[in-house]
Amino acid sequence: MTDILLILGDTQLMSLFTAAAFIVVGLFAAIFLDNIIKKIIGIAFIEEGANLFIVALGYKAGGVVPIFLPGMSADWFAANSAYPLPQALVLTSIVIGASTLAVMLAISMVLYKKYGTLSASEILGDKKTQTLAEKNAGDNNE
Amino acid sequence: MIEVVVMIIAILGCILAILQRDLLKVAILTGINGACVAFLFQFLLAPDVALTQAIVGTAIVPVFLAMAIYKTQRMDDK
Repeated sequence: MTDILLILGDTQLMSLFTAAAFIVVGLFAAIFLDNIIKKIIGIAFIEEGANLFIVALGYKAGGVVPIFLPGMSADWFAANSAYPLPQALVLTSIVIGASTLAVMLAISMVLYKKYGTLSASEILGDKKTQTLAEKNAGDNNE
Repeated sequence: MIEVVVMIIAILGCILAILQRDLLKVAILTGINGACVAFLFQFLLAPDVALTQAIVGTAIVPVFLAMAIYKTQRMDDK
């Protein structure tokens, strides 16, 4: 019982578990679901899990926010603040994730305009049957 | 202990967003998930990342999804 409470109280470990759950759910959605918009949302969840993983690696238990305030000594700040480099990089990654999501949604809108459906299997199946029919026609002609 | 509650809400929003048939509900649940992740970044001592995630994950991503659903179809017909 006390072990479970220790694990639940460890914010870094629980954040790593949450990131793993995001990546698992996102991979499931991106691979096994049929709707294109749900596949895109799965890819967005994978990005979110990766961001959370990188920020959780720089966490320090009992530390302070990495902002240098007057009254702090430099040695104390270096020993007690969270690691700021992953935070600065993840800040860029979130914005890039939003813009890639916008590009993917625009491509899905073009696909809907061309095929009239959002189902990936129908779009791929349409192509496969066309190519098979063309192949059979070519064989018959020969 | 409040971090654990926020994490559970985030994972539940993630799983429920995958299971919906109505894609507009998917957009709203994605917004809930983004808000919970923003709180989580604040608990992980990253307030600047939390501010950006709060704007992008709660407002911009659901609005993009809603616009894409408005231009295509709302129901996921299996």
